[in-house]
Amino acid sequence: MMRVTVGSASRGALAGLQADASRLANLQKQITSGRQITKPSDSPTGTVTALQLRSQLKQLHQYQANATDALGWLTTVDSSLHSITSQLQQVRSLVLQGMNTGTGNATSNEALAQQVDQARASLLSLANSSYLGRPVFGGTTAGDVAFDAAGSYVGDTGTVARTVGPNNAIDLNTPGTAAFGANGSNLFDLLKDISANLRTNPSGLGANLQQLDSRQVAITNEQSLAGAKYQRIQSVQNTANTNRVQLKSQLSDLQEIDLADMAIQVTSANAAYQAALATTAKVSQISLLDFLR
Amino acid sequence: MTSAFSGLTNALAALNVQRYGLEVTGQNIANANTPGYTRQRAELAAVGPATGVAALYATQHPNGSVTVSGTTRLNDPMIDVRARTEHGDNGYRQTTATVLSSVETLFDEPSDHGLAEQLNDFWNSWAAVANNPGDLAARNVVLQKAASLATSLNQSSANLDRLTQSVAQQATAATLEINTAAAALAQLNGEIAVATASGTNTNALADQRDSLLMQLADLTGAQTTVLANGTATVSIGGQNLVASTTATTVSLSPANQILVGGTPAGPAGGELQGLVDSLTTALPGYAAQLDAVAAALANTVNAGQTGGYDLAGNPGGPLFAGSTAATLSVAVTNPAALAASGAAGGNLDGSVALGMSQLGGSNSGADAAYRSLVGTLATDVQRAVQQASIQQAVTNSVDELAQSSAGVSFDEETTNLLTYQRAYQASSRVLTTVDEILDTLISHTGRVGL
Repeated sequence: MMRVTVGSASRGALAGLQADASRLANLQKQITSGRQITKPSDSPTGTVTALQLRSQLKQLHQYQANATDALGWLTTVDSSLHSITSQLQQVRSLVLQGMNTGTGNATSNEALAQQVDQARASLLSLANSSYLGRPVFGGTTAGDVAFDAAGSYVGDTGTVARTVGPNNAIDLNTPGTAAFGANGSNLFDLLKDISANLRTNPSGLGANLQQLDSRQVAITNEQSLAGAKYQRIQSVQNTANTNRVQLKSQLSDLQEIDLADMAIQVTSANAAYQAALATTAKVSQISLLDFLR
Repeated sequence: MTSAFSGLTNALAALNVQRYGLEVTGQNIANANTPGYTRQRAELAAVGPATGVAALYATQHPNGSVTVSGTTRLNDPMIDVRARTEHGDNGYRQTTATVLSSVETLFDEPSDHGLAEQLNDFWNSWAAVANNPGDLAARNVVLQKAASLATSLNQSSANLDRLTQSVAQQATAATLEINTAAAALAQLNGEIAVATASGTNTNALADQRDSLLMQLADLTGAQTTVLANGTATVSIGGQNLVASTTATTVSLSPANQILVGGTPAGPAGGELQGLVDSLTTALPGYAAQLDAVAAALANTVNAGQTGGYDLAGNPGGPLFAGSTAATLSVAVTNPAALAASGAAGGNLDGSVALGMSQLGGSNSGADAAYRSLVGTLATDVQRAVQQASIQQAVTNSVDELAQSSAGVSFDEETTNLLTYQRAYQASSRVLTTVDEILDTLISHTGRVGL
């Protein structure tokens, strides 16, 4: 049998009380911080996983910002091309009028030619539409415009990529040359040609009409391409939203405390501590001396 | 035949002996809370007839006296040895756990403001530049994030350095404490040797000796031998620290090796070894890992930058200068000088910035290096703390065993008090009785019929 001595009894009581108190303090720390992992050693694997999840979440957040930016860019492209298409319809009817009138009425053709010139100026401005200060048809040009005043392309064919997901960089660029044609034979050259033909050579308008139609097809193509990219980005965004919710709930499972569970643990730790205090106080008061006269 | 007066002498001896027993009990009670005190017991022995006396003169009966044959320290030497071993191990484990826990506080993860989150922010700031390479504000954000990353790494490194210095100071303080204890033990050894030779009670000295031995065990995990004359020999890692009345000194070499009297000692234990191991292995290890994070950051970022072109179309230069956590700094001050474009000529291409924004996902980049640092540290701390708490439990149980044999129990002492008190009362009754007999003999003999 082990002897119980003054020292061993008090030491044992103290060690027990301290263990209980430190368990209570630990729980308290977790509850006040709201986190299960208050320092890396609380759960080494949990910490590393949490770091990874946090980094993924941040990245996802950035992907979403990129996607929003990309949608803004594509909206600008789409609305510009849409306006351009409707303007081209008007130009087409002007050309048809010119063909019908033929050489007969120079005054009326001059009026048509002036309308075409007006339309050219307005189309040039549409082709220079910009998003956040960058011409959307100018590729990666550092300049303010994609087409200069003479109507020749001054942009480049660089890619304008937005990363909207892991390994998912989407090139938003709609190079001006693809939509409006190469320098020398682009839309603005064509319009200039039409205006000249209206004034001087209405017989050339037939060929102009065909060129105008093929240009129109190219523009519609680019518009539908931009629309397809828009849809693709939207679907990526939806997936990203779902992903984000999943990541957040994983992170919360890992990092945050379960309040109900904590409440039960605190109650039981508290009860144990109180019981230890009460018995220590009672037991250490008794000795043989109490019973000797 | 015994002398008529021998009864008086015997009773007196009994009174003295019981009173001595009471005194020892009183001493035990008085020292119940004295650290290092070992309870003592008065050893009583019956006094028999003198031997070697011719039968003619010998008494036929034992003369019934009692004597104190000694005062024993009631410790258990085997448990004391075990306690010292466990204390040495405990000192080592507790110190290691404390140092590692201090390192852990320097890396507050996972959190919203730790280095991992700063890295994430840095990479994301590049994505903003990729989206809008011409925006100087976005480029400025990159520079700010880079600067805060560099500052954080510098601070972590400085904090680790400060911690290392404070551990080194603790180690020096521990050697001083060891040397003081060793010198005191050597002096005590001399006193014990003299006291043993002259037959004086050495119990109090032995208590002091055991306290010093325990202190040395805590500090160094020293090996101890207690010799027959009560003196103790102490060695650390195979080198003698205290032998008889000579004590050598413990010191640390510049490379933080434990030297005993100038000679390198083998692996010891205790606090000192814990501090030394932290200084030579753990702390430099974490510093190297932190440097690896800084180097990975500088290398990946600078490699990306030098492959690109800045806003004006010139080839990009390194963003970070320095390749250790302490020396890392931002080398670029002009936001336009950040390389975002993959093609020369001053365009708004963002491909290089895009590449930079994805460096965080690399398995060989700074993020992975940092995660590995935090993971290693967390595992190390967890293991050290677990080992320390296990060793603490073992040490506590051995201490309890030692206390169980050496500690004072009030119930027991009170019982002894009663026993000696009763024996004293009975002995004095014997004295009274003998006195009455003698009174009868002396005063009333020959007065028959008077």
